[in-house]
Parts: sequence; structure tokens; C-alpha cells
Amino acid sequence: MNLRLHIWRQAGPADQGMMKTYDLAGVNEHMSFLEMLDVLNEQLLNAGEEPVAFEHDCREGICGTCGMVINGRPHGPIARTTACQLHMRSFKDGDEIYIEPWRATAFPVVRDLVVDRSAFDRVIQKGGFISANTGTAPDGNAILVPKTDADHAMDAAACIGCGACVAACPNASAMLFVSAKMGHLSYLPQGQAERSTRAMNMVLQMDAEGFGGCSNHYECEAACPKGISVEFIARMNRDVAASALFGRD
Amino acid sequence: MRSFSVVWNTTIIQKWVMAITGICLVVFLLAHLSGNLLVFLGPEHMNAYGVELREMFHGAAIWVVRLGLIVALILHVLSGIKLARLNRGAKAVRNDKVEHRTSTIASRSMIYTGLLVVVYVVYHLAHFTWGVAHGEYYHVVDHLGRHDVYRMVVDSFHQPLITITYVIAMIVTGLHLNHAISSALQTLGINHPRYTPMLRLAGPALGMLIVIGFLSIPLGIMFGLVK
Amino acid sequence: MELNSNIPSGPLEQKWDKHKADMKLVNPANKRKFKVIVVGTGLAGASAAATLAELGYNVTAVTYHDSPRRAHSIAAQGGINAAKNYQNDGDSVWRLFYDTVKGGDFRAREANVHRLAQVSVNIIDQCVAQGVPFAREYGGYLDNRSFGGAQVSRTFYARGQTGQQLLLGAYQALSRQIGLGKVTQLNRREMMDLIVIDGRARGIVTRDLLTGKIESVLGDAVLLCTGGYGNVFYLSTNAKNCNVTAAYRAYKRGAYFANPCYTQIHPTCIPVSGDYQSKLTLMSESLRNDGRIWVPKKHGDTRKPADIPENERDYYLERKYPSFGNLSPRDIASRAAKEACDDGRGVGPGGRGVYLDFADAINRLGKHTIEDRYGNLFEMYERITGDDPYSVPMRIYPAVHYTMGGLWVDYNLMSTVPGLFVLGEANFSDHGANRLGASALMQGLADGYFVIPYTLGGYFGQVGPSPLPSYDAPEVKAAEKMAADKVQSLLSIGGKRTPTSFHRELGTLMWDKCGMARNRKGLQEALQEIPAIREEFWKNLYVPGTGEQLNQSLELASRVADFLEFAEVLVGDALHREESCGGHFREEYQTEDGEAKRNDDQFTYVAAWQYNGDGAAPSLHKEALNFENVHLATRSYK
Repeated sequence: MNLRLHIWRQAGPADQGMMKTYDLAGVNEHMSFLEMLDVLNEQLLNAGEEPVAFEHDCREGICGTCGMVINGRPHGPIARTTACQLHMRSFKDGDEIYIEPWRATAFPVVRDLVVDRSAFDRVIQKGGFISANTGTAPDGNAILVPKTDADHAMDAAACIGCGACVAACPNASAMLFVSAKMGHLSYLPQGQAERSTRAMNMVLQMDAEGFGGCSNHYECEAACPKGISVEFIARMNRDVAASALFGRD
Repeated sequence: MRSFSVVWNTTIIQKWVMAITGICLVVFLLAHLSGNLLVFLGPEHMNAYGVELREMFHGAAIWVVRLGLIVALILHVLSGIKLARLNRGAKAVRNDKVEHRTSTIASRSMIYTGLLVVVYVVYHLAHFTWGVAHGEYYHVVDHLGRHDVYRMVVDSFHQPLITITYVIAMIVTGLHLNHAISSALQTLGINHPRYTPMLRLAGPALGMLIVIGFLSIPLGIMFGLVK
Repeated sequence: MELNSNIPSGPLEQKWDKHKADMKLVNPANKRKFKVIVVGTGLAGASAAATLAELGYNVTAVTYHDSPRRAHSIAAQGGINAAKNYQNDGDSVWRLFYDTVKGGDFRAREANVHRLAQVSVNIIDQCVAQGVPFAREYGGYLDNRSFGGAQVSRTFYARGQTGQQLLLGAYQALSRQIGLGKVTQLNRREMMDLIVIDGRARGIVTRDLLTGKIESVLGDAVLLCTGGYGNVFYLSTNAKNCNVTAAYRAYKRGAYFANPCYTQIHPTCIPVSGDYQSKLTLMSESLRNDGRIWVPKKHGDTRKPADIPENERDYYLERKYPSFGNLSPRDIASRAAKEACDDGRGVGPGGRGVYLDFADAINRLGKHTIEDRYGNLFEMYERITGDDPYSVPMRIYPAVHYTMGGLWVDYNLMSTVPGLFVLGEANFSDHGANRLGASALMQGLADGYFVIPYTLGGYFGQVGPSPLPSYDAPEVKAAEKMAADKVQSLLSIGGKRTPTSFHRELGTLMWDKCGMARNRKGLQEALQEIPAIREEFWKNLYVPGTGEQLNQSLELASRVADFLEFAEVLVGDALHREESCGGHFREEYQTEDGEAKRNDDQFTYVAAWQYNGDGAAPSLHKEALNFENVHLATRSYK
């Protein structure tokens, strides 16, 4: 199939940037979206032009490195699918495709479609963990976890940290990401000791990074390639309120 | 220990403030609506209700409620403005092409509908409480010498311009409530797969009901159901 | 140099405990005087960095990713082994040890493997404490499943995302230490070289991938946790950025490279669909628990799978290996698939594929159970291929997956360069010639959580604290200049071809001549052709842009340049090893029914290659493998 691509080009963080149009012929429907961009980049290189910078790594939907807004939707039109797992059979001959970077003040553009998501790491560093030094652990079966709790924790832990939730949110809020990590740990007995401090610490850092607040649009849930539920946001809201009212840290 | 102001200013606590004050305002709307609907029972009920409101507990009740409402409204508006500015800053640059999947015009325009409602509330108070706007309808008394609330309402809504203003205001309020109620529940952490699907329908439904209830009065008057 | 594996004396079961008791300790107040550089933040790197920081060392962790959470450990699907015997099915440390040694075709060190089996139980405990959401039974107890190459259920798992969950556990532990200021995290930095001063590894040269700045990091020890080199084949299940550069640079600085020819081909991957293919996707081996592998009996049978009657199907694994059947080890299952396709009975485009069929399992257990077990894998398959595996059998084919070879290390995980330690897939130590399923996660975490914290202390106790070398030391400046020169020379070739085109050319050659099956003639041809590609690369490469910005073509070119040199070491090793074992199958050395034929008399050793300068052949050092506890048997899964 033949496609017309409109791609955000920006040489560096300080550059203005603009949309540029490229025509790409002979795209195979079995290609992944990123393979289609590979083909474009090989063409650009052969023509002596700078290829489009985009991030990617595992290309099987788990590392969370790739991410771009495709036709106005983070990771493109198919639900619960990362850009690397999106295949060209979801498009048709003659389509125009708009490809843009994640947009959020907390995720500054580095180049073309590459953004800086280190804000997520800093939120985790403030409390997205269980403090358990290596060697201190009791036997694995000494801590019983009801299956439904383990399943819930796993639902939240499936987050790949790609940032699509932030990109989809009209407020660039990171609530789904932060609540997923909090939910993962707060559903487990091991996570209870730090539950209150974790909630407040992570939220304070989330705010400090410049993410917006949650207006309950639920665009994040729709964009999340792992289908993480906004139920975790509600849970976080409860935990943070409890921490604010009763927490002693 | 973290200070009150640090905790108070987090986005999530600000949202809690929004949600709790918002629910107070919705409860007020329901009470207000049930009082207003007395208009359909005629001037006797309506005007007696007006007197009762002003004289309950020697006039203290109304002021307690008013004070609560003023505080709630101020907090609601302040946190709304604060969050809206924050949200705008967080998304300073937007994508050229944006496809919305779950958000609605109502959910994305909360700050605008909210501010319009504030403007409307000022007008509404000037009209029916202070008697500053359209004073000619305000200063009337009934045969018992009571403030003739009923006549004031009916005469006012015989004016098409006033009716249109109120209808528009109610539609704006409706938009606001369409998202507000279920959103507040989510903010308060009320979410469970068993009942949240219902609550997500119940919120807008309640909003719609409130709006229809309020609209029934000017429209009822305009179409002559209330004379 | 004589290779000394430093295996402690004494009975196998007591070696590790005895070694821990014998090693020198660093007292808590002195630990902060040591600075450790950890390169790579996958399972091995993140777990090591976190644990060392918890102990009190100063740690600098380096990754080329934008975040330490992205390393390819995250993609491991199936699970992690541990000899817990929670299932009461006869598992033990000894059995896990034995299965691993046997699975590795008797080409691994007994002592290392036994230690791995021993600490496997601690790993599960540690991960549970960290909040890894392992699958649970209804009563709240940990659940297990079985995996290829084992007859007990000892694999712990978190849906089909075990690697992700374990990595996030380690990443969170690391993040905690970053937050506490004990770890300095450097993201988007690529290691360009190793700095060796007075015979000790004292630092690394890094390139900042955003600004191009060449900068050194100096310390008291360097830990390479940089993964495997499977991408030398271009198409593999590895992430796109996986590369050999860090390990290869260390090799050029004096670390020996051991057994590079041991590369693992994973039997259950989604077949290649076209020449634009950028990578291959693995379907977890756990699918073989319920899926049955077959091809049509008839050659060139193009009927739809549903139209092929039962008696015209060849369930070749069940036929050839009745006791292990579809759960045969990876090397065996892969080769069997290749044989079936070479025989003209492959399915799908190009005939390079076999069926993995769940129809029987769905009939037996119901669709719901299958969905529960493999739902996310089925979804992934459907997204990639457009076929629904609930109704049509999956098509799979083997692909390069894991590299058992790596930098040579002794029992303490130290390479031949003092102070340079190598952990996880980057070292060679525990899997011999073939790795069993669910063992990679185990090894990465064993090295990081439970081995290096002790052995690094032993090293520091020996060498004692010393001031950091000067950043102006001649060795530092020289290494920085080399790195800068390499970048400059890649940028200034000004040819016509893209880095990817060279990578693909090299990969195709490697797969054809040194892939699932190798022979002398092909390997010799490869040794002729690799230098030719390399020469063309340095004449006709085109890299746009500058070195002072984010330049992904430049990053790739730099990695491909190292692959082009390393490939020769790999092929040379494959040529020299005149036997078939595990993932290394030499066509000349097979039994009559096509099974691998080891040559224990001549090749029961680790081949460690020493760099002798560009253009010179590397020299071979042999570390004899002594099997005192297990009997070298022909591996049989029949």
C-alpha cells in the first residue's frame, strides 16, 4: 500500500520543530508500524537525509520504550496495543497518517519523536518500592497472598511505563502510571508497611514533575496498551486522602 | 512531618476538595429544587415556604446554610481554577491531531461551564435574592403581606429574555453536572466493578434530572402551566 | 595466562558455604570507600547495583536506555526456576543442579551450577518480599508450572510476564537506592571502552547518547551486566538495542571470551514474514505445556491445518522423544523443527514453520482455561500475525534467542582482567552449551543478588581501598581518545550504505553458515566473508548528522562495527569445536539418527579466546571441565 506520512521533525530540544510530509510506497500489511518507519528511514538515509528519530527496543510490547501519537491516539488506533505491536493491516492504501511525539510539559521532546520520560523514574524513586534489603526475606510461602489480590496486583504491575496515559490525558496527568505502581504494591501484604508514606511521597513527586491533575476523562485507560483500569486511580485517591488525614510522616 | 499546606496543595487533595464541595453544592441543588417545585402547588405553599426559610431558628438556619454554601462555592471555584491552570501548564503543547475516545465536551469544558455557572449564580442572586436585577418583580407582597415569591417567579418568567437566560444557564449547569457527579465519586475513591458501571450512568442521570426539574419552572410558566 | 577457575575445594554441596566463610570481608565503615561501576541495568545489573548499595558501597549504574527499567530481561515470559519443591514432586537442589548440567550438555562448571541451584530458593524469597506478584493458588500459596527439559514443576511465574515483574522488582530496589543517594544512575550512556590501569579494571569510557559527550567514570571495580550477543545474527528475539560492544571492548582490553559458539536457538518463535523483518518474537516455551507440535506427513501439503486428518499429521517430538515429548529441551526441539522443514514438510510462507496446536488442549480443558493460562500470548500472536490461535494452530519456527557463551569468569565472576566482573548473560558460566527454560532469570538474579555481593567483597578485601585514579591519567585519556576517534571515523566515511544494511548482511551470513547447524566448509567460508563485509563497511558506510546530538544511526554503526569483528571470534570458536553439543550442532558430528554427538575425550573444556591485536588470530586457552559428581552421559530425552 502507499501512504502519506505527516511526521513531527525537531532537530533538538531547543529547536522549534514542525510537521513534515513524506510519501511512502510499497508498504506491506504484515509490517509492524515501526518496521514501516524503518523502511522510511532506510529511504531517507539512502537519499542522504536524516532519519526520523524514534525510540524502540524490544518490539514485542513489553519494554515500554516505543511510543508515538498516531492519528491523534497514543500507540495508534488498536486498543491494548503498543506502536511496535501495531501492524500495517490496520491501515489501508492511500491513508494519511499523523505521527507525533508524546506531548506533556513533564516529557520534553528530545528529538523528533523521542521524549524524556525520566520523570517517571523519579516518581518511583520516591516510594514505588518495598524496602526489603537482599537477604532479609522469609520463605516465599510464609507470606500468603490470596489469589484475587495477587491477580489485582498483577493487573496493576503489568504497566510498562511507556507514558501513553500521560500522552492521552488532556491534562498530561500521570495518575494512571502512579496509581498502577501504588496499586500493585498496596494489594500485597508485603506492601502494607509503607503504604501511607508511599502514597504521599509519590504524589508529591508526581506534582513536582509538572504532571497535571486528574479530571476523570479516562482517556488514559483507553490508551493504555496494558488495559490498566482507572479503578487504581480511585484506590490511590483513597490512599492519599487517608495518608493526608492520618499519616504521621 | 509534612505541613498542612504541603498536603493541602497536592493535586489529589485539591480534587478531594473539589469533590466534597461539589457534592455539597449538588445536595443544595436538590434541596433548592424541591423548594422551587412548590411553585406548582400555588402561591400559598410557595410563599409560606419562603417565610419558613427566613424564619427557621429565628433566621439562623438560613445563614448557617448560606455560610456553608459560600465556603463550599469559594473552595470549589478556587481549587477548580488552580487545577485548571495547572492542567493547562502540564499540557502546554498539544498534538496537531487529537482523537478523543472517552472524554466528552462536558468533561473537557468543566472550567468554562463552572465559571459560567458562577456568573449565572451572581445574576440569579441579584434577581431573586437581592432584588437588584429586575427589581420591579421583587418588591411585591401577597395578601398576607408576605414577600410574594410566587408572583415574583411567575412574572419574571413571563419575560422571554429572562426565561431564555435561565434556560441557557440550566443547560450549562447540566453540562457541568453531566461529568461532575460521577467524577466526584471516582475522586472520592468510590469505584468497584460491581457498581461503578451503574454509577457512571447514575451521575449524568441525576444531573439531567436536576436540570429538567429546574427547567420545568420557567418553561411551565412560559407555556402557561403555572399562572 | 593460566586460567584459574578458583573453584573452592571440598564436597560440591559445601563449596559455596565454605567459600563464603573463607572470603575476606570489608567492614561497614570501609565499604563506602569503594566505588563500583555497574554497566547495564537488567536483572543482573539492577539486582547487583541495588544489593551493593544496600551493603554500603558507592555505586554508579550505567545504561544506554532512557530508564533502567527497559532492559531486555523484561521480555522473558515463562518463568524462573527454583528448587523449592513446593509441589512435593521430588525436586531438590541436587535435581535442579543435575538437570541444568545435563541440559547444558555437560559443558558447564559443576561448582557454578550447584551454587546456582542452591541460591535459586533465596531468589524466590527475595522477589516475594519485594512484591513480585507471582501466580498464586487459591489458598494463597505460590503456584508452579513445568518447563522444557524438566520433569518436575519448579517454575515460578507471573502470568506471561515473569521477566518484567522480576526486573521491576530489581528496578524498584535500585530506584530506592537512587532515591537514597547510594546509587548514581546514568541513563542514555553507552559504554565505549574499559579502562585498565596497572592491570586492574578501574573504569569505563561512556558516550552520552544525547550530547555525544565522551566521559569517563572511574571506580574500584567494574561489573559488566550487558547481556548477550544474539543480535550478531541480525534477526533474533533480542531487543533491537542489544549488542556486544561492552563485552567486546572488554575482550580487547584483555578479558577472555569463552565459548562464543554456544548460541541458543529458541524453538517457539513467530516465523519471518518478509525482508523488512526487524526482529523475531518469541512465544513462551510454556506454550509447549499444552500445545502439540506437528507438521503434515506429506511433503508440500498445502491444505489448511484443519483439513489435515489426524493420521496424516506427524507429531514429531512426541514420536521421537516419547518421555519428554513436546517438552524436549530447546536445542532438540529447534533442530527437530529444522529437520522437518528441510525435509519439505514445513508450513506457511516459504515452508519455514511448524504448527503448535492447542485444539486438543482446548477440547480437554476448555477455552477458558487456555485463555487463563496463555491469554496474553495468544493476543500477542494474533496482533502480529492476524491469525486467531484459538481456532487456527500457531505457526512457529526457531530463532536465535540466548547466548550461553560470554566473557570468561572464575568462580567469583571475575574475568581475566582483575576488578572486571561479568554477570548474567554476559558471562559464560552456568549454562554450558545449552540453557534450560526459566534458567536465565534465575542466573541473572543469582549473580546480582547472591553471588557478587560476597565475591566482590572478597576482591576488595584483598586489594584494599586505594585512591581513585586521576581523570587525567594517560590510560584514561588514551581510552577516551580512542572512543572519540571511533565516532569520528564512523562519521567521516561518507559512503553509500546504511548501518542496517551491513548488519542484515552479516546476520544473514551468520544464520546461514553458523546458525542452527554448522559445518566445516560453511564456517570456513564465513571466515572469508566476514572480513570482506567489514572492509566494505569501513569503505562504504553512511552515517548522517554529527556526533554531538542524539544520532541513532551512529549508535547502530558503532555497534555493528563491533559485531563485524566479534563474528569472526564466534565462527572461529564454532570451527574449532569439532563436536556437537547443546546449541552448537556440527553436521559432521552426529549420530545415525541425527542426534548431537559430543566428543568428551577432546572437548570437555571451556574454550576461552584471548585477543591478540587487530588482524591477529586470537589464542585459545582451555579450562578443563572436571565432572566429579555427575556422570558424563549421552543426553537422552527419548
